[in-house]
Amino acid sequence: MIDYSKVDFSKILTRYDVKTQVVETPESAAEKMLPDDPLMRAVAECVLFKKVKDIAPAMMAAMGKYAAADVINGGLVPGIDAVGKLYADHVYYLPDMMVAAKVMEVGIKLAEKSMGGARETKADVIMHAAEGDPHDIGKNIAAAMMKAAGYNVIDLGRDVPVTVAVDKVKEIKPLFISGTALMTTTMSAFPAEAKLIKEAGLNIPLMGCGGAVNREYATSYELGIHSDKANHTAPIAQKLLEGYDWKRINEEWDSIVGGA
Amino acid sequence: MTSIKYKSMAYKSADEMVMGTALHPVTEGFDLKIGAGYVIPEINYAPRPGTEKDAAKLRKEYVDYISTDCLNRAITAGFPAVHLETEWVSQMNQEKLSAPVVAGQKEVCEKFHEEYGLACGVRHTIPDQREHDLGLRVGQETEHSYPELFFQCCDIACENGADNLSVESVGGKEFADFAVTQGDIVAFLYGVGYLGSIDMEYVWTEMVDVAKRNRTVPGGDTDCSGANVAMFMAGGLVDLDVQKTFSAITRAISAGRTLVAWECGASGPDKDCGYEGPICKAIAGNPTTQEGKNCQCAHCDLMGNLPAQICDCWSNESVEYHPEFGGTSVQCWLGSLGYECALMNTAIETGNAKTLRDLYRTADFTRSAESYILAYDHAYEIGQAMMANADDYYTRTRAAALKAIEIINRGYDKKELLLTVKQKETLDDCQKKIEALPTETDKFAEMCHKEYNGHVPNYNLKNYGL
Repeated sequence: MIDYSKVDFSKILTRYDVKTQVVETPESAAEKMLPDDPLMRAVAECVLFKKVKDIAPAMMAAMGKYAAADVINGGLVPGIDAVGKLYADHVYYLPDMMVAAKVMEVGIKLAEKSMGGARETKADVIMHAAEGDPHDIGKNIAAAMMKAAGYNVIDLGRDVPVTVAVDKVKEIKPLFISGTALMTTTMSAFPAEAKLIKEAGLNIPLMGCGGAVNREYATSYELGIHSDKANHTAPIAQKLLEGYDWKRINEEWDSIVGGA
Repeated sequence: MTSIKYKSMAYKSADEMVMGTALHPVTEGFDLKIGAGYVIPEINYAPRPGTEKDAAKLRKEYVDYISTDCLNRAITAGFPAVHLETEWVSQMNQEKLSAPVVAGQKEVCEKFHEEYGLACGVRHTIPDQREHDLGLRVGQETEHSYPELFFQCCDIACENGADNLSVESVGGKEFADFAVTQGDIVAFLYGVGYLGSIDMEYVWTEMVDVAKRNRTVPGGDTDCSGANVAMFMAGGLVDLDVQKTFSAITRAISAGRTLVAWECGASGPDKDCGYEGPICKAIAGNPTTQEGKNCQCAHCDLMGNLPAQICDCWSNESVEYHPEFGGTSVQCWLGSLGYECALMNTAIETGNAKTLRDLYRTADFTRSAESYILAYDHAYEIGQAMMANADDYYTRTRAAALKAIEIINRGYDKKELLLTVKQKETLDDCQKKIEALPTETDKFAEMCHKEYNGHVPNYNLKNYGL
């Protein structure tokens, strides 16, 4: 082995991850962000601290005093909002986000059972991995984030035929449909789907995503919009809720996802 | 052919390993000798979207454009040897699309070999489209019959002239996806190290038979669907979704899985994106294809120069075919690979291979925990740990994981390898969880089945013949 004992590695490499790391703990962040009411706070803490085994008793206790819908909005939502903030601040990471989203999902199911029906969501969205493409981890992550953000996600799975995806769009008329592809030859499903959606007289955006898909490709056909990262999806959805169409999303894309 | 497990290291020391030479070289294609004293560029490519729509278009793209462009550039720049890799797009599971491509690429290689004496050959990497929810084994699903199609693709490739048969198999992927997104290292060990290895034995036993019947070289596999998912999600220095210490441990585990192809009779080189290659080469002595700084067309990893340290073929991972200022994309990236190989081969010819090996290693081994464990001396240590626990798939992959953790901690204690607080916390957490696992395989499998059954999406023991 060559002698590298005298090497000054700072001339070869800067470890920006070590240099810029955030040292805040979830506990310190929680102090500033969780509700004061002890029952609501207990629910929010279950989400924030990923206590999947504690969420049921916390929900039952809170729903003993408050309406189920209020527990969602006053306990679960502040909890997941805190998770989102910690994720954005690099205190939390993907596994934290995924487990917290799972806890929230359990809590919502309990609330919905108590309400005797589904909670009100922001909108329906359809997600799928393109025909011929078995890679769906990105879609699954984005789906978990969208559920946590209050959307009803209709997940069609992976290797979804073009006609199946389009038929579902016609049936549901979602806020948007997203598709992921990891291969250059499977992403051509997206313009095919967009064309059929357009032919059906629908102006529903098709969000092209995934490793093989870049913004230039995803916006090269009518209805096409793009999400580069899973956590860009909710900010784009928010703009669609506010009335943006696919063209305006593309025009303002940089500013929409800039903070995500 | 049955699987015969490695029990000892092929190399007596890490220092014996160099680039361009493997203990068991492979001859394939037109006078291509891999691991026989020189490093060969391996160019990989993807067709443009839309070309998959009909057989004539796809053949033209792969044969008349991509392959011809590559071989022309090899002649233009004076490269003595080229390995092409065709990773089949999913539509090539139809014989009418794939057979003309395989046969056409063979013809082009033959032409350049006859005309210029260029040593060349084509690795065909068939698509593994098997879906865990439907079934991984023949006879389990009728919706797409993907397991049947998988083996039919092997036949089509070999019968039409593939020089090397490889795959990126997906056994254990359902657990890998779960493990990476939930940060569950035990799930990865069970899914990839144990179940994934069982699936490797299933697919590679048959692949080796098909290849040998047709005089095709059975090359190798990669844990692309597991360790690379972890590595890509761990990303660059300021990407923080998955901790780099976590992905480093998944890499060590994946070596146990990738090795199975060779234990079933495949002979290499293994697949470029199998960054675990140095560990496998240390154990088996077979040639390895690696990728790093010259695969920036496909992704930015933190490996850089390091994987070149003991490689036998040097790859660009993949590039979509399109025009660039310097020619087509495949020509540009083959040029990039070929000139790097010229440097390596000059080092070999001038007796400086070990110096260049050490420079490649040392330039980037502290860039991340994953590159640190793959430094050839550390990779060798992981191999040794595996061979000291070579009884079965679980014991050797658990040993690999624990040795990787030990190596990372050693580097951290020496202040050679920096870790963020979260990276260190994740490392310690993984260590605690793996050390607490049963040492007996039966107990481990029983424990994991109880823990994950009904919890990990698409988990089905029948997929693994259990």
